Amino acid sequence: MSLEPIISVTDLYKTYVTDEVKVEALKGVCLDIARGDFFIITGRNGSGKSTLLHQLGLLDRPTSGALILNGQDVNTMSEKERAAIRVRELGYIFQEYALMAELTALENVMLPAMMTRPMAECRASAKDFLERVGVSHRMYNLPRQCSGGEQQKIAIARSLVNGPAVIFADEPTANLDSIAAQEIMKLFRSLNEDESHTIVMITHEQDETTYASKLLNLADGQVESNA
Amino acid sequence: MPEWRIPFFLIFRHLRRGSKWTLALIIFLMAIAFVNMVFASSLFNGIIATSNANVIETYAGNITIYPNAKDDFIARTDKELTKIRAVDGVKAATAHYQLPAASMKFKNIKSTFRLIAIDPSNEIQVTNISQKLISGRYLEANDSDGILLGAQVTGNEEAATRSFKGIKVGDIVKVTLQNNTEKNFIVRGIFYSNYIEADYQTFTTIKAMQDVAPYLRNQASSILVTVDTPGTEPKVIDGLKARGVNGDIHPWQDSAGLMKDVTKSFVSIDVILSLVATLIAAVTIFIVIFVDITDKRSQIGIMRALGVRPYLIHAVYVLQSVVYSVAGVLLGAAMFFGLLVPYFVSHPFALPMGNAHLVVNVGNFVLRAETILWVAIFSGLIPAVMVTRINMLDEIRGK
Repeated sequence: MSLEPIISVTDLYKTYVTDEVKVEALKGVCLDIARGDFFIITGRNGSGKSTLLHQLGLLDRPTSGALILNGQDVNTMSEKERAAIRVRELGYIFQEYALMAELTALENVMLPAMMTRPMAECRASAKDFLERVGVSHRMYNLPRQCSGGEQQKIAIARSLVNGPAVIFADEPTANLDSIAAQEIMKLFRSLNEDESHTIVMITHEQDETTYASKLLNLADGQVESNA
Repeated sequence: MPEWRIPFFLIFRHLRRGSKWTLALIIFLMAIAFVNMVFASSLFNGIIATSNANVIETYAGNITIYPNAKDDFIARTDKELTKIRAVDGVKAATAHYQLPAASMKFKNIKSTFRLIAIDPSNEIQVTNISQKLISGRYLEANDSDGILLGAQVTGNEEAATRSFKGIKVGDIVKVTLQNNTEKNFIVRGIFYSNYIEADYQTFTTIKAMQDVAPYLRNQASSILVTVDTPGTEPKVIDGLKARGVNGDIHPWQDSAGLMKDVTKSFVSIDVILSLVATLIAAVTIFIVIFVDITDKRSQIGIMRALGVRPYLIHAVYVLQSVVYSVAGVLLGAAMFFGLLVPYFVSHPFALPMGNAHLVVNVGNFVLRAETILWVAIFSGLIPAVMVTRINMLDEIRGK
């Protein structure tokens, strides 16, 4: 595995103000994620895991601190530039699958690719990824016609379709039974080990931390351990 | 620009796979909003058209020629009629000879109404009074003592004061002229044109006129002219003037009298009602789209997270609004032309100026369809812009 950092975070702070109450969700987080890492973030509820993932995945902006992604300072970029990076370089998997209800599995996977590529190529690529994650039989089904495990696999295929540099997964197994959860984790391992995808994942499950090449434990918005 | 496929891609799927009931309800609401905008305007158009048609067909022709200011009559009427009929665009012409009736008497009721002598064969080519008889028959040229009475004269319509209430065909009306000449006329027929000004008139023949006022022969009080093509009145008037027709020539609009003011009021009311209808349509469409967008906030958040730029999300909802409004306008037009127009043709509104049905002005119709379209575009765009300004994570969580 390469040691070249694909993500480098220095002194990251995020403060939310709700009804004049300040909540410091991240307090000076520093970390490096190398290309090809399977980086797992753990911590108790309210420790700042999701907040950190959202900053790393450019879904939110930190209050202060530096965030270098693939050698670029993404905090100083415009929303347009950040959106372009999200399309080309990042993939997302959400806890609730976050699939578009009116699109079939194939169309859901095609959607991010349609921002940049010809239709036929999007379709071929989406089919290919659905096959690779093992849900090609659900290609023409709507999300509501698929099981939770299948929906999460479709979401994984969608996160892969643009060949991202980093895949972010926010508790991807939280809504799945143990068998489906295990399948998803094996899929992540395969993507990481066989295809060298960098994965940044949040989990609450202790046994899933065994998949990590790096493990970060957050407590009260600060790095408690980073191994 | 491959990303511009996304709004079309999403809209097509939404229409195919979204709730059909919701879609039908939204389009129905749009259609109702459109019909609401078109209905009042068409009704006013109908009233104005009916009123105008009545003025032309029962009272003034397309063009009315009066004596010049210095004259009491149009001298050598027959020659003038020949000149008039030779002008391009003139379809027919008829002379009206107004008798100076001091009074008319039926039984004990004494009153005064306009008594006009006509040539029935010329008159039927210009006015349609002959088709408006509710009892009796029309006049014939050789009738020397017949009289036709308008419905206001007979008291059939309550508006007239001192009307000949109860008079019927065959009854006698005694007419006294200003020179005290008297003549009994027999009621041949009663007409009801549904235009109040026309229904106050009474008609007799030129032959009958010659008994009491022979000096009026060839001395018309007015000449009514119809044109081949409605709307060509100014051109025909120019032709009449060029031909040297003797008289003061006016288009029918100058005879509309009270109806001109009513028409102006209708136009003002129509503008106000149209503004209110537009506002109602805007609020309705805005609420419909806003609820739809609010319902999909989480999906909008997901799209943004995947890198779909806000302008594409705006385009999705603008496009959706365009689809809704075009479908609404088409459905509204189908409801309007398929149901409302035929219904009001068979069940017209009974008004003092005539029976009115819905008349569509194509320009107004298109303008209102365009208004619905623009209202829908802004009603789709504004909530979409509002939603895409919310924090992306709050959107994904549906907050």
